[in-house]
Amino acid sequence: MSDTSDRAALRQRYERRMQLMVPAEADLLARQALFAGIPEKARPKVIEKVRRYIHLVRFEEGDIVLREGEYSDSAYYVVEGGAEVVLTRESESRPLLRGGAHVPGAQRPGARPEAAAFIGRGAAGLSGTVMLSALPAELTTGNKTLGPGEIFGEIGALSRYPVSATVRARNPLTVLQIRLPGLRMLLASSKDFKKSVEERYRQRVLARHLRQVPLFARVEDAFLEDIKRRAELVSFEPGQVIAEEGSDADAFLLVVGGYVKVSVRAGSSDLALTYLRKGDYAGESALLLEDQWPFALQALEHVEVVKLTREMFRAVTAAYPDIEDELWSQAVARLKARGALKRNPVSSEYVQMAMETGLIHGESVLLIDLATCTRCDECVRGCADAHGGEPRFVREGQKYRRWLVPTACYQCTDPVCMIDCPTGAITRQVGTLEVTIDQPTCIGCSNCANRCPWGNIIMVEKDEKRADGKNVEVATKCDLCLTRPEGPACVQMCPHGSAVRISFKDLDRVTSTLT
Amino acid sequence: MGSAGALRPKQPRNTWLTGAAAAVMLFLYAVARAIAPWSPKRGAGLVFGVAATVVIVFEMAYPLRRARARPLGTAQRWLQAHVYLGVLALLAVLIHTGFRAPGGLMGWSLLLLSAWTTVTGLVGVWLQKWLPAVMAEGLRVEALYERIPALVQHLVEEADALVVNASDALERFYTTEVRGRLAAVEPSWLYLLDVRAGRERALEPFRRMITFVDPEEKEIVNDLMTIRMEKMDLDVHYSLQGVLRRWLIVHVPPAALLMALLVLHILAWAVY
Repeated sequence: MSDTSDRAALRQRYERRMQLMVPAEADLLARQALFAGIPEKARPKVIEKVRRYIHLVRFEEGDIVLREGEYSDSAYYVVEGGAEVVLTRESESRPLLRGGAHVPGAQRPGARPEAAAFIGRGAAGLSGTVMLSALPAELTTGNKTLGPGEIFGEIGALSRYPVSATVRARNPLTVLQIRLPGLRMLLASSKDFKKSVEERYRQRVLARHLRQVPLFARVEDAFLEDIKRRAELVSFEPGQVIAEEGSDADAFLLVVGGYVKVSVRAGSSDLALTYLRKGDYAGESALLLEDQWPFALQALEHVEVVKLTREMFRAVTAAYPDIEDELWSQAVARLKARGALKRNPVSSEYVQMAMETGLIHGESVLLIDLATCTRCDECVRGCADAHGGEPRFVREGQKYRRWLVPTACYQCTDPVCMIDCPTGAITRQVGTLEVTIDQPTCIGCSNCANRCPWGNIIMVEKDEKRADGKNVEVATKCDLCLTRPEGPACVQMCPHGSAVRISFKDLDRVTSTLT
Repeated sequence: MGSAGALRPKQPRNTWLTGAAAAVMLFLYAVARAIAPWSPKRGAGLVFGVAATVVIVFEMAYPLRRARARPLGTAQRWLQAHVYLGVLALLAVLIHTGFRAPGGLMGWSLLLLSAWTTVTGLVGVWLQKWLPAVMAEGLRVEALYERIPALVQHLVEEADALVVNASDALERFYTTEVRGRLAAVEPSWLYLLDVRAGRERALEPFRRMITFVDPEEKEIVNDLMTIRMEKMDLDVHYSLQGVLRRWLIVHVPPAALLMALLVLHILAWAVY
């Protein structure tokens, strides 16, 4: 079949799926056990509020509801029929899965070592990172069936991890697709629902996540089980203060989702010291020194945290002296950084900028040094040459001091663009940075372009007609020149070394490059 | 970066290497000259002539960097090689002539074109280092050269919209003193001397006007002032980015002519 007919068939299927997706009726929702935990008086109001985020979706037998490795922003509640959870054997298809940005270069299948310099990942940037994604979180191998009243996909949606298994309709299936805002409303409104989600997370995922944090990598299983049982799971809204500087510290916090700003007060201003992301932790300085919080912690977005009490923390450090040593090193480094920041407040400028602009999400952000850039556009020409004449970025964007952030994909840690691609055209292979769009499979629905918060995905018209006579549009974005052994052409073709790519995971490199 | 700062090499190591190569070439010339009478047609004189030709041919291959960048790594390395080898090529040409005035029109043409191409190339290097630095430091706006006329048009529309319901006084001020300066791109060579040239004078009418308008129109005057400043930034970009694009006119055509004459020179040497 040609690309054209493939695309037409895919589009037809997508349109049919959209027709099968209808807003859920309040009556139907009220009948579902999902809402039973909400106090009866408040239930109609909650349902009315949450309803706009819930759709009733029907699937035919064999249809895929969730695809392993993809990112999703929805939970699915089975109303009728059955869904089958399919987990492929690791040896079979693991490298073909989507998702997984947290793998060091050397471990990436098909990694381009010679291109490492171009994709901006220093060794320092990899410390403290965790590979939380694309692993069988809930099952080992084989299949499992989900029936009416059961929910799936909620952990991936809340934590922004790629889906760990494919789910398909076992027979005609009707589900409620609950989008993330609705899911969060439900968690806030229903204690039972919150408890059940937390319990599932604790049972199925937490131990695995803890194990992947380098700090807990050597902890014995029994010990980890104990932590898993006793740890508290806490969520924070964007902007919410997690810890106040100078307040009593009573817990060790491990970030499992979202970004947290770490700041210190200096006079009347609040200086950004760093930010925490999945797998990072805080609280060790205060607990080890038996002191108050030396920093303030604030949620930059929805944040999920695992909280260990002071007693549990002490139990861990007492049982594992090497962990205590590591925590001391981290505490000293952080306190040193705090001192340096207070002496030189200007150094926080770029960290603050990165947080305000969302660059902190970027695994490989293209930056152009305007003080050396001659505006010759060789970067754009290089990009076009590498992509059949169509450049994948625009040399326009925000300017920060002498740096330009062009309209080019940041290759985000949690690529929200990958949520909701109806054909699975947008993918990221396990252990790689590059989020790519398979052009023949792209049907031009614009979901990814609309989702990208920075407008870094561009819809391009092709010389191909749709059935309605309009030109076919496909989504295009920077793919870090996946097929070029030399790495991204924009960097290689800049005659003045003005184009650089950096990972905002590696704050030291960010600061040294930008200042 | 000041204009003098732009003289500092980006890769000091390459400057040292080039200096060392130049010293070796001059030393070889001195030795060869001491051993035998110098002639461009034979011996060391010919060797330097051939070396200069090879380097000039490589210099001419600079546009191939896009397709063939791989052997030399990055475009930056190509440019560095282009610049430093260009300087060495001129020295090789001078050594080839034995540092004597050429005998005929062809000789003079080749020598002058070699010197012109090298000097304009070095001026280009200096401009490419100096102008981006002053633009980055002195301007708040960044713009693509091709889009500047459209952006200026957009600013005019924005300014027009601001004064739609303004008082007569403000509208008159806008029509007589502001709009004309916003209407089209105004490039100027003066910006080569100072990217903020004329800015204070341009803002003076706004500062005067703001004292006369009602409090609710002060915001409009401030917005117009911001638009005027952005327009001036765009004028500067248009002027300086224009220079960065056009300096090649004085470099590339003479270089192509040099190449053509070089071919004739080699043919003449081979035939006669």
